[in-house]
Amino acid sequence: MRGIFIQLEVIYALLIREMKTRFGAHRLGYVWALIEPVLWIGTFVVVYYVFGHQPPPGTTLIAFLVTGFVPFDLFRDASAHAMMSISGNKGLLFYPQVRPLDLVIARVLLEAATQLTVFTLLMGGEALYIGQLHVNSLLTTLAGLGLAAGLGAGLGLLFCGLSVFFPTVERLYTPLIRPLFWFSALFYPVDLVPTVARKLLLLNPLVHAIELVRYGWFPSYGARHIDPSYPALWILVMLFFGLSLERVARRRLELS
Amino acid sequence: MIELSKVTKAYPTWNGLNVVLDALDCSFDGRTNVGILGRNGVGKSTLLRLISGTEPPDSGEVIRRAEVSWPIGFSGGFNGSLTGEENCRFVARIYGADVDEVVGFAMDFAELGEYFQMPVKTYSSGMRARLAFGLSMAIEFDVYLVDEVIAVGDAQFQRKCQAAFADRSDRSSVIMVSHSMATVRAYCQRCAVLEDGRLHWFDSVDEAQRMYEAG
Repeated sequence: MRGIFIQLEVIYALLIREMKTRFGAHRLGYVWALIEPVLWIGTFVVVYYVFGHQPPPGTTLIAFLVTGFVPFDLFRDASAHAMMSISGNKGLLFYPQVRPLDLVIARVLLEAATQLTVFTLLMGGEALYIGQLHVNSLLTTLAGLGLAAGLGAGLGLLFCGLSVFFPTVERLYTPLIRPLFWFSALFYPVDLVPTVARKLLLLNPLVHAIELVRYGWFPSYGARHIDPSYPALWILVMLFFGLSLERVARRRLELS
Repeated sequence: MIELSKVTKAYPTWNGLNVVLDALDCSFDGRTNVGILGRNGVGKSTLLRLISGTEPPDSGEVIRRAEVSWPIGFSGGFNGSLTGEENCRFVARIYGADVDEVVGFAMDFAELGEYFQMPVKTYSSGMRARLAFGLSMAIEFDVYLVDEVIAVGDAQFQRKCQAAFADRSDRSSVIMVSHSMATVRAYCQRCAVLEDGRLHWFDSVDEAQRMYEAG
């Protein structure tokens, strides 16, 4: 029991430390977390307008884009930061009670809290602007965000473990992640994609997380093709291999 | 009380495994100050990291029934973009210590003035060392691990470091690794020489000196 208590204290301390390092350097530190999604969403609002597209039935354009970009950013930033958590914090592992896993957990938690705040602010702002708010099932939306965070944690932990043995995987990460921007149903609904392409798209576990966020948020959003157990399975498999690697990696780290 | 049983540690090198510690058995009672002598590269710092728990042994077991410090003076755990105070808060939290007490002690001890509230990356190496030392004295450990250096900074600050250790000697003990006879003689009642992955124990520092200097 004492072990768990210490680990919680370590994660809490790391969380505060990460928060100060990430956001504390500038007075407007927290605002930066909002700027990137706002710019992307603004871009796609313009794109939709120029091509004369309508948002999917049952949604409003901005809310639809937010339900795509926020879970995607959550997945991408959580995995990127988790992957770098050992190489960016080696000195901390000198303290015996800090395990590599704690660094990963703290970074994923901070990312989840950040993106949840971004989501709340953007959705709240939109609801205030149009003057109404109907949420289908908040729990389902949170579950979708949770799956996105879980996928980020799994991938990040896996890459973090691999990078101890093969440092080049850190460089493979970006080219691997970049195509997901186009193939994660960020700015289009899965139901509008032609059948053959949709089958391929649904192999991407992140699509299921994002569509689940939308299904939970919009009262009449069709999400006939999604299966939450599919990304959950991905998370379990990635965590299994990631955690096994973490145990081995701890012995391989050079700490002098 | 710290016990090492059959502790083995080896590192891979180009010429096969370099066995640094070979089925090492030993115990530290937590009251006697112990000095471990050895030449550069025989594995003194590795031994200290195993005792502190920073690194796990390849095989064997390290049992700690005492609060053991990290090697004193280690400042690599500081985050450069956080202030001295924020770094102290972090370490106090992970050791479950009273955060304000630790911060207050470290601030008084390190005598960094306004720099205590500035990012650690603006510190000179001497200031970092003083902060690291003050922080390790701020948390009450049963056993302090010392890698070579027991006092840091200028002559006046070194006296302060030595006084801090003297002040703790009735509550805490020291395990020190060093290649310097003089430091070990000044602090330790028991002494060992680390050679070929094994510890040779001596009841007095003089006997150890004879073996150490005979090579």
